[in-house]
Amino acid sequence: MLKRLATLPRDSRDTLFLLLVIGWVMLPQATHLPVWCTVLAAALLSWRALLALGSKPLPHRGWVLGLLVAAVAGTWFTHHTLLGRDAGVTLIIALLALKTLELRARRDIFVVFFLGFFTMLTNFFFSQSLLTAAAMLLGLLGLLTALINAHMPVGRPSLAESARTAGWMALLGAPVMAALFVLFPRFGPLWGMPSDAMAGRSGLTSRMQVGNMASIALDESIAMRVRFEDRPPLQDALYFRGPVLSIFDGREWRPSPSRDGSASGAQLRVQGVPVRYEVTLEPNNQPWIFVLDAAVKPPVVPGVETVMTGELQWLASRPVSDLIRYQAESHIEFRYGPRKLTEVLPEYLQLPPGFNPRTVALAEQMRADPALRAGGSPALVRAALDRLRTGGYSYTLDPGVYGAHTADEFWFDRKEGFCEHIASAFVVLMRAMNVPARLVTGYQGGELNAVDGYWVVRQSDAHAWAEVWLQGEGWVRVDPTGAVAPRRVGSLQRLQAPRSALAAALGNVTPSLVANLRATWDAINNAWNQRILNYTQSKQLNLLKDLGFSSPSWEQLTQVLIALVVLAALGGAAWSAWDRREHDPWLRLLRRVRKRLGAAGIALPAAAAPRHMAAAVTARFGEAGAPLADWLLKLEAQRYARAPAESLTTLRREWRHLPWPQHPEPSR
Amino acid sequence: MNSPSASASHAPDSHAMRPPRRERYFTLNPIGYARQQFREWWQARLPLSDSITLTQRNVYILPTRPGFMMGATLLVLVIAAINYQLNLGYLLTFLLTGCCVVGMHVCHATLRGLTMNLMAPEPQFAGVSATLRIVLTNNRKSARHGIGLAVLDLAQEDRWAYTDVPALGSSTVQVAFQPPQRGLHRVPALTAETRFPLGTFRVWTVWRPAAQVLVYPAPEAFPPPLPAGEPRAGGAGAARVQSTGDFEGVRAYRRGDPLKLVVWKKAAKSDELVSRDSQQAQRFELWLDFAQTGHQDVERRLSRLAAWVLQADRLGMDYGLRLPGQQVAPGSGEAHKRRCLEALATC
Repeated sequence: MLKRLATLPRDSRDTLFLLLVIGWVMLPQATHLPVWCTVLAAALLSWRALLALGSKPLPHRGWVLGLLVAAVAGTWFTHHTLLGRDAGVTLIIALLALKTLELRARRDIFVVFFLGFFTMLTNFFFSQSLLTAAAMLLGLLGLLTALINAHMPVGRPSLAESARTAGWMALLGAPVMAALFVLFPRFGPLWGMPSDAMAGRSGLTSRMQVGNMASIALDESIAMRVRFEDRPPLQDALYFRGPVLSIFDGREWRPSPSRDGSASGAQLRVQGVPVRYEVTLEPNNQPWIFVLDAAVKPPVVPGVETVMTGELQWLASRPVSDLIRYQAESHIEFRYGPRKLTEVLPEYLQLPPGFNPRTVALAEQMRADPALRAGGSPALVRAALDRLRTGGYSYTLDPGVYGAHTADEFWFDRKEGFCEHIASAFVVLMRAMNVPARLVTGYQGGELNAVDGYWVVRQSDAHAWAEVWLQGEGWVRVDPTGAVAPRRVGSLQRLQAPRSALAAALGNVTPSLVANLRATWDAINNAWNQRILNYTQSKQLNLLKDLGFSSPSWEQLTQVLIALVVLAALGGAAWSAWDRREHDPWLRLLRRVRKRLGAAGIALPAAAAPRHMAAAVTARFGEAGAPLADWLLKLEAQRYARAPAESLTTLRREWRHLPWPQHPEPSR
Repeated sequence: MNSPSASASHAPDSHAMRPPRRERYFTLNPIGYARQQFREWWQARLPLSDSITLTQRNVYILPTRPGFMMGATLLVLVIAAINYQLNLGYLLTFLLTGCCVVGMHVCHATLRGLTMNLMAPEPQFAGVSATLRIVLTNNRKSARHGIGLAVLDLAQEDRWAYTDVPALGSSTVQVAFQPPQRGLHRVPALTAETRFPLGTFRVWTVWRPAAQVLVYPAPEAFPPPLPAGEPRAGGAGAARVQSTGDFEGVRAYRRGDPLKLVVWKKAAKSDELVSRDSQQAQRFELWLDFAQTGHQDVERRLSRLAAWVLQADRLGMDYGLRLPGQQVAPGSGEAHKRRCLEALATC
């Protein structure tokens, strides 16, 4: 096979290489595209490869045109538009695959290259990880190699040679890239962000369908990274607060439309020393700023306004569409919420009629218990937690699909589930017992990366817990999952998603190695995030401040950029001037001699040798010119004699002190 | 075009007798006229030399159409990176920008420092493509790729002859051009260009070689037979008496010659029939005379004479050439033929 490749005609070889690079660039999109587009692209590239292998003619224009119309129609049917991000990506991929069938003139090759660059950019919509960057760097080098190869029209240049050229061109281009990356002024989006910009990224959602969170629990991607300035709180106190859900329709929890008023409605009362920390939040296209649950001061998010809701959640003025970093201050000890029952909204007691009849009956039964009635709400909460602890309930990531009466099924039939089943069933029971209750979603826990000291919170740390309102205390957090599976909350050993066979085998043999590798990898990723992905306008302006600008602005950024360009140009001009100069010191000296002789009236050709000059000097000055003529002969010897008597430095010194014939006799 | 010394393709025959350049560019379009004037003024300023070393001063660079397309692509990429806030998108765009900037310098350096030498051109017949051989010498330690050479003012797409010049080596390129008409002509201005490595920039130079090429008149395609010889001056009668029938000379076959007079050995070597001329050779000598070509038009007369010179030379005959104002004494051989053709070219 390889031998066959080596003997292919140049055209076929180049085409196959280009197709390979295009395939590589498209590959990361394969799972994001509509199925028909993936299949179409793969089929077209394979077809083209077969044509190239057999050196067969390209298909008729009509074919390409027909396929193009089909692709546009397919895009329309899939996305109901031709604009926007996803439709654009689909179209670009389809066009790129189709264009390979039209590689006739040089212009066509350029079109393929440009579409290839666009395709590379579209990959970053879905992932900006280090791996993606590495893969796309390889793709870029491949495209450059093909482009360079296309501009070597003679013979059959090896692809390795083109690749080498592409490699060092990219290496030389890297400083330009670095300077532009650091100094190119950063703006917000130039126009409205398409609404689908974040499609395909996972995270918490603003609604919770019971059963929906299983997929998140399996997602090991990182939600945020936290660095505490001082000692971090205990792990079981790490509750990062997200949306609060209070409306239940039997299947789905939704946030309250009233949002419980403004921040003043929270009536937050804090105690103790605040915890200071910095959060690097991955984009989630939601306006949620996750903080440890009670932050009095607004988190400092560059370029974004933040407000707190009455439910203690912090919201940003715009969705988090790129990696952001912010400082926050939280209190672990706090109380909040209205003190009187009359101020609590009635929606925290509402249950959908007709759902969960057995749970309602259980609630009636517990309320009728005289011992509990005397204890009031706290006793009811304790009783419910006791039931979870002792009733044979277990925590599982794979509870199966629940029916219509989710709380009933949890309490009586299945007796297993994960946080959202448990929390939802708990809140339903509480409300049935006339205790105001609601559901809070967010992240709980995280793990410390020993390599760089960051706490990593993953999507698998997404959690749901309950809050109940108690007389005199306000809203109090109750985590019923802790009652079922104490290790789920605040334990290092979290319930893990099923791993691949290889990872499992590795993990069993050397658990510490796997942990170390993962910690190192996370640290590298974090550095990538902090340095590259989180390089924002504020960091840019900070850099200018470090450079000595008192009040940096983007105009100054531009000035620095222009100054750099001017400096580079001056450097280039200086180098080119130096390059043009005579570098041989002997020749330089000879040229000086010729100039001075010229000034004395002895015109000599540019190629005149010292002996030639000596003869001219003698002819012109006679005896008076003898020292000069001797010196010239010594200069000649210095260059050509086997063992020159004098060094060039000596000769140069002699030249400076040479008795120059003062009064030339009138010649001839 | 697989060998380093590639040759440009030949021009079609319909352009055989091309009028001189100045007339070809006559135009009523004022911009085109100004451009042409500027070009001619610019080219007239260039020094004439058979050897040229390219420096910053005589190498020019401009973006190509794909180069502008690349610029547009970079613009779209950076807008996408801004709008979707993709820092990796910025990186990609800027790396590509960096590569284009480097590519610009690489492109310029491909020609800068190259030395081109024109080999002395061989004389040519008008209407046939003349070949110019140019030796490219590379003094740097890396190869130079994709250098194309062509005659400056040709408009054909495929006029370029491409070559690579190895590191510290040289390669030879052959460029064809159509001499406009007979005479002694200056070699046309040449141009070298490259788009290596990315095709986003075109780097080129214009070179006016000093060499001249001698262009003989185009030989007539189907000339009439050679004229009859003229009596040798003096002793004409005596020779007639001594006719012995021995082989004494040859002349071109004429209709009516008996077959036994045909020299078959000579016929095998050339594709023309030659008859023994037992009588005339001694007493007649062949003169190709401008006045006896049977045409009014000077150029067509010269064409016929050129055809006759070639024919006579092929037959190995002695011949002389008589032109207005000069004459070449009868003789034979390569040098004699060249002398005759030269006289025809420059008269």
